[in-house]
Amino acid sequence: MTSSDNTPQADRPLSPHLSAYRWQLTSLLSIAHRLSGVALIIGLVALSFWLFFLGQNAQASALVKIIFFSWFGKLVQIGFTAAFFYHLLNGVRHLLWDFNLGLELPQVYRSGYIVIVLTLLLTLAVWVGT
Amino acid sequence: MAEFRLPPMSRPEKGKEWAAESGSNTRTLTVYRWSPPEDGATAARPRLDKFTVDLSKIGTMVLDALIHIKNTMDPSLTFRRSCREGVCGSCAMNINGTNKLACTQALSELKGEIRVLPLPHMRVVKDLVPDLQNAYKQYNEVRPWLRSEKPAGERERLQSPEEREKLDGLWECILCFSCSTSCPSYWWNDDKYLGPATLLQTARWVEDSRDDDTEARLAALDDDFKLYRCHTIMNCTRTCPKGLNPAKAIAGLKSRLAEQNRRS
Repeated sequence: MTSSDNTPQADRPLSPHLSAYRWQLTSLLSIAHRLSGVALIIGLVALSFWLFFLGQNAQASALVKIIFFSWFGKLVQIGFTAAFFYHLLNGVRHLLWDFNLGLELPQVYRSGYIVIVLTLLLTLAVWVGT
Repeated sequence: MAEFRLPPMSRPEKGKEWAAESGSNTRTLTVYRWSPPEDGATAARPRLDKFTVDLSKIGTMVLDALIHIKNTMDPSLTFRRSCREGVCGSCAMNINGTNKLACTQALSELKGEIRVLPLPHMRVVKDLVPDLQNAYKQYNEVRPWLRSEKPAGERERLQSPEEREKLDGLWECILCFSCSTSCPSYWWNDDKYLGPATLLQTARWVEDSRDDDTEARLAALDDDFKLYRCHTIMNCTRTCPKGLNPAKAIAGLKSRLAEQNRRS
């Protein structure tokens, strides 16, 4: 008989969690909400740098123009726009939940897909043609 | 700070491949194994054993396969089971990435190789048996019994059909903890956040017309963690083997608590 009952907690393995649990729309959109929030904060700092340098001399404003309108800068801007729309729309989803609305699973999936599609459409609307 | 990776000694390694049963219709199950060290020995890492079973010899559920493996291949395989019909909550485990009751999860509904792990982010007692002490302690903490000032009468405490209806979707919970252990918030804060199973049970007593302790029950949840670590991720509702909605019950608790605090 081994001492299974007196095995110290620390000697017991922790069962697999994040690496083993299947990703699903529920958890995916939740972590995306958090990540887009972080992206928005970082983006806001970048945006204020841009505005700050624009107000400086011509050289500085030319430099930020080069940085922000390089292909990489543009990519970041598109990402920022997408993060903005996603966070906004999913935030509305959270507000509805806080009013005890749309909490049935089929509704949660429907609103989740709506948020994804609207995020893509609004991001496209901003960037197509620029 | 949440620890997203498993501690090195908790990471499963490749285990034993057991002699496959022959037959025209077989399925392979990868099963999590870990045993406490013999006295004096050092603990080994968990391993993932492979068993191939002949489906013509067994029933239709994952639990049937596990019982068959225990009976015919490896008697040391350890798991909890009792009712084998989804009412006792003993055989909750992580099957192909989501938490299920092994007794009500049909093998035919699973694709490919079947991966069977203990409930996530729990200390393992042996194989598929997680340590539920903390979960039970939290459940006890919400005093899950009728609390009333009124003395017991000659007969039952009566409810109207409408009052009784409010308990539907709450009383059916079998406390298998599939929901709590599917919740990332519970993974990272299981010492302070009560988790969906215990909160659903709290709602069960808060909604009960015969219970007079509603105010104190809600007030007991009023800190940063016990209730409000729920971020409406919804993994709980997605995984509940009984089709209940813990996330909705928790949202109800949040608004009732907010209302109570607003009035006071």
